Parts: sequence; C-alpha cells; structure tokens
Amino acid sequence: MFDVEKKNITLGFMPLTDSAPVVIAHEMGFFKKWGLNVNLAKQNSWATLRDKLHMGVIDAAQMLAPMPIASNLGLYGKKSTVIAPLILSRNGNGITLSTTLYQKILSQENNTEVSMPFSADILRNEIDERKATDNKLTLAVVFPYSCHYYQLIEWLRRSNISLSDINLLFIPPSDMVPSMQSGDLDGFCVGGPWNAKAVREGVGVTGVTSSDLWQDSPEKVLGLMSDWQLKHPQTTLALVAALYEACQWLENIPNRFEAARLLSHVLYLDTNIDVIAPSLLGSCLTFNNAAPRKVSTYNQFSTLDDPAFNMPAHYCGENIADLMQECKQISALQRANLNVTSIYRKDIYQTVMNAIKPSESYNINAIEKPS
Amino acid sequence: MKKNTVSLSKNNHIHENTTKLRVLLAENNHVKAKALMGILTNTDFDIYHVAHSGVPLLKDVEQLNPDVIIIDIESPDRDMLENLNQISQFAPKPIVVFSEQQNPNPSINQLVKSGVSAYVVGEVSQERVKSIIDVAIARFDVFQSLKQELADTKQKLSSQKNIDKAKRWLMETKQLSEIDAYHFIRKIAMDNSQKMDDVAKNILSVASIF
Repeated sequence: MFDVEKKNITLGFMPLTDSAPVVIAHEMGFFKKWGLNVNLAKQNSWATLRDKLHMGVIDAAQMLAPMPIASNLGLYGKKSTVIAPLILSRNGNGITLSTTLYQKILSQENNTEVSMPFSADILRNEIDERKATDNKLTLAVVFPYSCHYYQLIEWLRRSNISLSDINLLFIPPSDMVPSMQSGDLDGFCVGGPWNAKAVREGVGVTGVTSSDLWQDSPEKVLGLMSDWQLKHPQTTLALVAALYEACQWLENIPNRFEAARLLSHVLYLDTNIDVIAPSLLGSCLTFNNAAPRKVSTYNQFSTLDDPAFNMPAHYCGENIADLMQECKQISALQRANLNVTSIYRKDIYQTVMNAIKPSESYNINAIEKPS
Repeated sequence: MKKNTVSLSKNNHIHENTTKLRVLLAENNHVKAKALMGILTNTDFDIYHVAHSGVPLLKDVEQLNPDVIIIDIESPDRDMLENLNQISQFAPKPIVVFSEQQNPNPSINQLVKSGVSAYVVGEVSQERVKSIIDVAIARFDVFQSLKQELADTKQKLSSQKNIDKAKRWLMETKQLSEIDAYHFIRKIAMDNSQKMDDVAKNILSVASIF
C-alpha cells in the first residue's frame, strides 16, 4: 500500500469504449483498494479535458497517447509539463466508410464484397473522380494529436494517397454517424463505440482496425501534471497501481462483457451495449447483417505474458514524436529538442511494479527495445 | 443543411457604416444563447447565433466568416473549432470559450491569461465580455504574427543550411577555401539574379547526381 497524500481525486475521461480501465478501476473497487476516492469526470472534448488538466481543475486524465507530448510542446493550449506514467490501452480504432460509398465501389468493381481489412486502394477511382469535379472525398477524425489521425494518414499513405487528395475534417465523435448519414462524410477513423454504431445503423462499413495497421500501438495513457506528481508521489503510484490492476482485470475475456455492461451506463457511455460489447470481445462489426470479422486484439488493455504492455517505454513516445514530425505537426528542431524520457515516465511504472510484484523483480530497462 | 437557425443580432448601434467585428455564437441551448446575446447586444459587434454542431456548424463558419467564435467550454464542438486552424480551407479564428458555471474553479480564470483561447467564467458584464473578445483577438493576432516570424526564421535557417552544405561540397570537390566557395555561390546568384539559397539548392541537386 502507498501512503497517499491526497485521497479525493478527480479523473477526467472521454466516454469511449477504451475508457474501460478507468470505469473498471472505479466500479470494481481498485481505486478504493489503493486508498483512493476517485470522482470520474466525463468530458465532452479533448481540448477541454486538456485545459482542465493543465489548470488543475481535474487531477488526472485518460488522454490520447500523443497529447502529453503535444502539451509539453505547447501545441495549442498552454505549454505544460504533462507526464504519462501508464499506458491504459492499445489499438481500439477503426476506419469506417459510408455505406453509400462502399456500395458505389462494389458496383464499380463489379463485386459483391471487398476482402477485409481493405486497403485505401479501393478509394482510388473515387478520389480521382471527385477531385476532378472539385468535390473531394471527405474524411474525418476527432483530434489532430491522436492516433486516429496518424492511422488514417498511414492507411492512405500506403496506397499513395496524400492529405491533399481529400478533405479532412475534425468533428466531434457524436457527429460522425449523423454526418455520414446526411452525406457530409464519406469516412472516418475513430475509436469505439462509434464504428460499431455506424454499422448497426446501416450507415457505415468498417473495413480496417488500428490493429490491422499497427499491431499494439499505444492508444490511451494516464496523464498528470508533473508538478502534481511531485506534490503527490505516493498518490500517483496508487493511481497507477489501481489502473494497472483494472487493465489486468480486463484481460480476462469473460470480464469484458461485464465491462461493456458497466460502460453502457448513463454515467459513462450512455449508449446501447450492442455497440460497446463487440470490439471488447474481439469482434469487428463490418456491415449491417454481415458476420463480424474476428479481430482478437481490437481492444487491448494488458497481457499476462508481457510485463511491459502497460509500460510507457521511451520508444513509444519517440515513435509518436516521429509521427508528429512526419505529419508536419512539429518541426525537426522541435523533434530534436524533445526529451521523451521526461514525459513517458517508465520509472514511475517500474516503481509500482516493484511494489506490487516484488517477486518478479522487473528490470524494465532490459525490456526497452528499439522500434 | 438547415439554415433557419442563423439569426442576425438586434444590434442597432449608431455607427452603421463602420466595419463591425463579426462574432459567431455557437450554442445549441437557446436559453443560454439568449442570455449571452443579451449581454452582447449593445456591444460593437455583429452577433450571429447558430444552433448547429458538427459539419453544419463548419458550414456556418465558412459562410458567415466570423472574426471570432464564442462557444461553451463543455461543448463537444470545441475540438472541431479549435482545430479549424489545421484545415487549410478555413482561415484561422480566435475562439472564446465561456463557462456558464458561476465559479467552477478559480483556476479556469487563469486560462484567460494563457494560450490562444480566452475563457469567460460565470456571470459577465457587457464591458467584460467586450474586453475579453478584444483581448482574444489581439492575442490571436500576436500569436499569428509570432507563428509567421517563426516560419520565416525557419526558412532562413534552412537557407543557411543549404548554403553551408553547398559550400562544403564545393570545398571538398573543387578544393576551394570556405571564403572562395561562398563567393562562388554569391557570384552565380548575382549573375543570374537568384537567391543564394536557390543557387545552393541547385548546386546540391547537381551534387546529388554524383
């Protein structure tokens, strides 16, 4: 047990399927076990979650993996030293095309279906045609400093499609499905439950998941202000321990359905379990009434055999910084001056592991591996 | 898309001919919107209220081309508006974020002093809203010019880099001294009325063939 300096904690989160670790830590009593009384504060936008963390309105937050790096560089918002001592989840995103577009592609190719995961090659004709009429294909993501953004760009890049070939919009997740329905959007890359929701409503077809593109890339992390951690070192360890145990709990597949049931509650995702459960159970809904595709790593929170799964290894941060540079979000100079080791804090993770699993005596440095 | 929710302000200020700043208030809750409109009515702004979100709101922004946008801190559209600046077809806009809570946390006030966004907290007077909007626009302009300066500096740095590289290549392959290599590049630039950077780039592209 840690001697916590602050018992009452407010933790911000966005209502997404992969907020499961924070919800489970709360609902299954892991926070309580580690001496914490956590108030989960649901947020409506990443920008506001970030600003509230920077200003101490919330003590900690579930963040998109690139966000702590963006905060340290002052990319929008206030330049702030945010740290990430724990990886909460990997994978979890999907790329969905509108049913209208998908049907059109099928008829062009004289096909009844496209094998999945599909590559962006299937968009080629449509992109060329629409560019010629000055009515480019419109795709959307939620936030620029997100894996959704990098994954969408990567998926397009593999088919030699650049951002200038399409219209890219940033719109709220709750608007993705209605905008696809109204014909304003041809596709999007988001996390759950929004892909499944588009399929259930017959509006979209999910053809790729993030684990098809990059197996096990970090998706969400725990974010804290560096000052806050210095003031509450033991509380930080307790938070990491509780959330780590929640991630381990989620590794057990029979527990995943229970997680889906809890997440569907009005306090959290406030939506039907039939769009939350599939990805948690390794099922990717593809299109309405079709058999789902098996993607066993669709949502990953932990693994029993890899002690580094939840570790914010420095190379994870380095990879994200490289993506930021490739996508021209940061300059080569910013990239060169970035010190990832002060942001992705595997030392804190190691302290927690040594405390809760002393018998296994981790040597985390041995686990650090090149990308 | 629906256009019926775009309502013009009842702003009948005397200076009809002056170019007023265009303020877009994005708020789905009509009660909240009305309260804010009340505060803003007699200020020096043209106020447009829209109750859209998502793509329809983006279309409003494109169509109305406001100078500043006001939005609730708890709105899901915040990410979209904040990231307008990342989308090339939209000109960057300052965003003012307000919170209707009386006193959610004093530190939200500090946000007013930070970043690009300005924050308005709790009940606000007309004068205060006006000054916050003015400050937001001013700060945004400063931020934009800083960004431009940074881009210029980067451009200069990278030209310097090209010139240095070209110099090094000339020194190695033509056995020139550093000063001679520099003059060599400058002479070509002068003779052809080109920038030294462009000459350096040409030299480097030739160099890359070998």
